[in-house]
Amino acid sequence: MKNIGAILVFVAGTVIGWLFSLLLQKRVKLLQSLIQCFQWLETEVGYADLPLAEACGRISRRADPETGELFASFTAKLNEARGLTAAEAWAQSLAACQDRLALQGEDWALLEDFGHTLGSTDREHQLNAIRQTLEKLKLQAETAAAFRGKNERLYRYLGMAGGALIILLLY
Amino acid sequence: MAEKVLPYLIPRLRLVLEKLKTAYPERWARLEEIRLRAEQPLQVEMGRSFLVTPAGEITDDPREACLVRAEDVLRTVQLMGGNSLYTLEEELREGYLTLPGGHRVGMAGECLVAGGSLLRLKRITSLNIRIARELKGIGRSLLPYLLQDARPLRTVIVSPPQAGKTTLLRDLIRCFSNGDGLPAPVKVGLVDERGEVAGSYQGIPQLDVGIRTDLLSGCPKRDGVFLLLRSMGPQLIATDEIGGPGDLEMIEEILNAGVGLLTTAHAWDTGDFAVRPSLRKLWTRGLVERVVVLSRRLGPGTLEGIWDGRTKAPLFSGVRRLEVER
Repeated sequence: MKNIGAILVFVAGTVIGWLFSLLLQKRVKLLQSLIQCFQWLETEVGYADLPLAEACGRISRRADPETGELFASFTAKLNEARGLTAAEAWAQSLAACQDRLALQGEDWALLEDFGHTLGSTDREHQLNAIRQTLEKLKLQAETAAAFRGKNERLYRYLGMAGGALIILLLY
Repeated sequence: MAEKVLPYLIPRLRLVLEKLKTAYPERWARLEEIRLRAEQPLQVEMGRSFLVTPAGEITDDPREACLVRAEDVLRTVQLMGGNSLYTLEEELREGYLTLPGGHRVGMAGECLVAGGSLLRLKRITSLNIRIARELKGIGRSLLPYLLQDARPLRTVIVSPPQAGKTTLLRDLIRCFSNGDGLPAPVKVGLVDERGEVAGSYQGIPQLDVGIRTDLLSGCPKRDGVFLLLRSMGPQLIATDEIGGPGDLEMIEEILNAGVGLLTTAHAWDTGDFAVRPSLRKLWTRGLVERVVVLSRRLGPGTLEGIWDGRTKAPLFSGVRRLEVER
């Protein structure tokens, strides 16, 4: 009985460690997917001259399901005709996705910043805002990837070690 | 018709106007304009100018009226532009935009100027939402005067603002194009420089301009007329308001091509028409064959008369209001 319990604690520790390392991986993937979306947005705004609802609708269909959801939610809010401005619709969409996307505080702050000038400036400024956000996202993705490279294994081992430690303490 | 503009207003003003609509359904049916000015009361044109209270009542007392804030005007413009002001650069330079349904919105405010010329509007403080009217059949009774041996003549509709010239023009185009009330339909080429006649939104006409009409929207009139004459083989060229410097040349080209013309001009009557610098030659040289004069005497769409542009003789006089005939 005791042995089974010990195995369970060890497995749980390992799984927790593994989950944390997975989150790191996910954040990198999400940031890369966001970079892709913003590159599309730059094209849709700069060259295709599409309004935001149409541009983001297209992006939501092409993007990964998770980031796609953010853009789909934004498109839906713009099309609802409830009188929301783009900045408000963006902020609400971010808030709605906050629990589901494995991003961190800095990533969210960056996305929130982007919303402030959304839809209320001329093309040049709009493109500038998109490009700036893109640069920041790239930087963020690099840092996230480096952090992941450094800490992914550490998290897994920590999980296992933590499990083992609890067993030792309890025995 | 007018309800279609409400979703483009911010919710607070939308609610007030919805109440107004319920409270005064008859006046609402005659709504011509909704005017938003920063830090001024909400105004509507329904026969005459009224102010609107927050409860949707009409009033003349500015203190009772619903105040439109600068923020409301800006947000409304954002909503009208699909929340994407960057797609409105052309519109912000021209000072107006078109909503689905063909309603035109005029804009004014602070301008961005470079090298002495207007680049675009920077901060918009005034909006004039003009309700487009589609009154099918109001032009039918005029058709016999505008034809000779089944050939459409060169006609100009002359009227002061808000007397229904664009509405009449639109219906005449539809009649010619569909052959409604005519022995045979006519191929029409429409140059809608300001997007007001067909009310095109993203290139698609929102108002009925007939089934044989080729529409060129947003195109300068002169270039558009040349293009249509060359490429589409129209029997009748229709354009929105003339009066600019290149317009005389354009009409001479139409004369050369031997096709009909249907257009509008800003003037009070034939006398006023004959003294406008840019229009005078049309009248004195008899370049237009028919002049239809409208006024607001009996309300928008009052027909004052039809003149022969060459003999200057009235073909029809006797004031009456144009009605929809079924």
